[in-house]
Amino acid sequence: MAQPGMPIWAADDEIEEDFQGVDLNMAIGNYGQNGLYDEVQSRIDEAALLAVQQQMQQQAAFAQIPDQVKRFIVHFHQAVLNNNLEEITVAYESGWNRLTEKFYAKTEWPEAEIIAPLVNDDPIFLILYRELYYRHVYSRLQPNIDDRFHSYENSCELFNYLLNSDEPVTLELPEQWLWDIIDEFIYQFQSYCVWRSRVKSKSDEELILLQEAASQGVWSAYSVLNVLYSLIQKSKINEYIVAQQEGKNEEEIAEIVGEYGVRPLYRMLGYFSIIGLLRVHTMLGDFTLALKVMENVELNPKAQFTRVTACLVSTYYYVGFCYIMLRRYMDAIRGYLSILNFILRMRQYHTRSYQYDQINKTADRMYALFAVCNALAPSRIDDNILNTAKEKFGEQFTKMQRGEEGIAAFEELFLYACPKFISANPPPYDDPDALTAYVDDPPTEPAQRHLALFLADVRAQAPVPTLRSFLKLYTSLDASKLAGFLDADEEEMVQQMMVMKQASRCVSRVGGEKGLLEGAVRPTSDLDFSIDENMLHMVESTVGRRYAGWFIRSTENAQRVLDTLKNSPLAIPTKSVAANGQGTDGAAEQPAAPRAGGQKVAWGGVKVA
Amino acid sequence: MSSESATSAWVTPPTRPELIESLVSGVDRYNPSNVSILEDYLYHQIRSQEYDCLANLAILKLYQFNPDLYNPDVVINILIKALTASPFPDFNLCISLLDDRPQTAHLDEPDPLPQLLPTLTTLHSLLHQCRFPAFWTLYHSDDLQPLRDNYTVEVVGFEDSVREVAVRAVRSAFTRITSKRVASYLNLPEGPELESYVSKLGWTLDSASGVISIPLNADNKIESTVVQENIQLPQLAKIISHTAATV
Repeated sequence: MAQPGMPIWAADDEIEEDFQGVDLNMAIGNYGQNGLYDEVQSRIDEAALLAVQQQMQQQAAFAQIPDQVKRFIVHFHQAVLNNNLEEITVAYESGWNRLTEKFYAKTEWPEAEIIAPLVNDDPIFLILYRELYYRHVYSRLQPNIDDRFHSYENSCELFNYLLNSDEPVTLELPEQWLWDIIDEFIYQFQSYCVWRSRVKSKSDEELILLQEAASQGVWSAYSVLNVLYSLIQKSKINEYIVAQQEGKNEEEIAEIVGEYGVRPLYRMLGYFSIIGLLRVHTMLGDFTLALKVMENVELNPKAQFTRVTACLVSTYYYVGFCYIMLRRYMDAIRGYLSILNFILRMRQYHTRSYQYDQINKTADRMYALFAVCNALAPSRIDDNILNTAKEKFGEQFTKMQRGEEGIAAFEELFLYACPKFISANPPPYDDPDALTAYVDDPPTEPAQRHLALFLADVRAQAPVPTLRSFLKLYTSLDASKLAGFLDADEEEMVQQMMVMKQASRCVSRVGGEKGLLEGAVRPTSDLDFSIDENMLHMVESTVGRRYAGWFIRSTENAQRVLDTLKNSPLAIPTKSVAANGQGTDGAAEQPAAPRAGGQKVAWGGVKVA
Repeated sequence: MSSESATSAWVTPPTRPELIESLVSGVDRYNPSNVSILEDYLYHQIRSQEYDCLANLAILKLYQFNPDLYNPDVVINILIKALTASPFPDFNLCISLLDDRPQTAHLDEPDPLPQLLPTLTTLHSLLHQCRFPAFWTLYHSDDLQPLRDNYTVEVVGFEDSVREVAVRAVRSAFTRITSKRVASYLNLPEGPELESYVSKLGWTLDSASGVISIPLNADNKIESTVVQENIQLPQLAKIISHTAATV
């Protein structure tokens, strides 16, 4: 029954006519259950009547589902049953979104119970279907309290199935989907935390439900962490990464990671859970633990564990942010530079991806954070990322160079670009008095608390830009004279100089460290100074002009041009049509030789000049 | 170049016992029943001039998830220990984990933290801004007597660890400094006490001029450098392989 080749609905909107491979009646053959009606007539009681009504409603709802959607679901189910990754991917990335646009842009997809007959009540597929169903509700519509609870329940069912089956499940899903499952789970957790903290807008009924939920640990930080840690442990992903880094062969690795870890599904879920932990810890304000869980992960753009771009982008975003909160601006800058360059290079491949918008939004926030870091640890970075950051945040970029005056710009960029912070605990729903107090005098939003800490760091460095602009003009200067320029007390100014010294040093990874928390103190500034009693001595480091990058790029380009020329057929075809193939080869070689020679002369000429 | 790790002792202090290491690095850190082990370890740090930031953050993490465990004295002691890690961000990292409104219903006495937190924050920012004389003035003021009598008095070597913050700042910025200035930073009277303190650091005092010389180190030794570009072989890989393929 499986469809060979590319399913039509993925390639074209009009699939009704062409989708003949799937026998709808076969798939829904059991639906209708005529026997039930006879039974109902024999014993009419309330419950049965209700059941019938419900059944009829479901039937009516089922009838409303467009045939195109029904076929899609049947086919999707078949692809999942067959573990056909290619078809699942097409259904997941393209079919679902296409049908969403067409039929469900403003409403929910049919509920899982309604479509159940289409998939023979396959419980696993229904869990996966609900995963998509609720994700759609969160992203396109407003989830109500039931949606929030049910999406949690469904996630629990999914993770239970994966973690608590007697043996590894044989299900296979595309990497992208696995990432989205973890990503969405955390997003819904965060969304719930924000939503539950707004006590005022809750009805009495909702308050009771929220209290119950809190006592059952629904969407509690513990339960979320539990899922992520369990996936990490079950998949032995950390052991896998270490073994891989040690150069172990496949058999040895299989031995180490066991029956779960060898399966791509578990391995990738384990890896994505590490990134998920990074995110959850960051949202909860634990920046050291966030980096510590990443201990084994190598942040090397060339040795990536996954090709899921969203995961890469997310990883760098959160790692960079943690570094900022650890005052390790150089490390943040380095990470942002490499991922932003990566995004620029990948742009052409991603413009049509459904995640393009999301990746771009995160990239913009990283440009903002990059600008912030650059203001706090100014260094000479000759890079187009810097220019793009200036283009995007020019106004703030200038203001941030101005010490105390620029604090507002730091604040603006921080609030724009920081992660969504959450409180670990719900408001005191179980205690009416405390709840009233909570409403009357709400606690500071978590983001505001982290902002205050960050701004304190910025403020401590506030005198630096002014000092710097003066010191750059001299090689030595008397402290009292500088104090005079600044109209400041000499002793205070000397203390500010010590701050400036501190600000010009930064813990930073130099390469080869184990773990993201490690690093050595490195100078970050091109201007250095020392104080000899009351005399300041300054030196400046300069960066020699860089030629190599330009020459390398140009040489590579020239080689590409040469290759293209060599491989292209002659512009004017030769008369002998029959010998075309041979003739082209021969002809291409001929002009190539003198041209290469000519190039040498040209380069030589430049060199002499 | 100072390339030795600045963080390995911070990530894993050599004094950290095995049991604590397993809590800090494993999932047992989330088990509320382990909080007393970590709290005992904090008090051990306080008595024996040790410091383990990550273990202390693990306590705050447990408080964050289990508000009924919250113990304000422990939090205050953690913050006092973190204070003198300046210019490293330990103090802020601890504050980041504090819930805005600690649950205090289970406490027998009024919570002292809300009163002390602004003071501790001010002390921290004075240290972070290298305003050492102002730090000492505030620290010894009458207003802060409760902090001194109830808390810092128990933290063995607290004032010395504040001095170490000042020493770090002076050492990296100065080659020579007047003893008067150092005295105000370290809160030590000029004279034998200061002399013995600085000589232990390897600094030399010229008693005639009252100027202390500080040996050169990676930070106070300044050099103007020209950073030349450094081409790595992998950058040329494409060109070389292309050339090799076409020759």
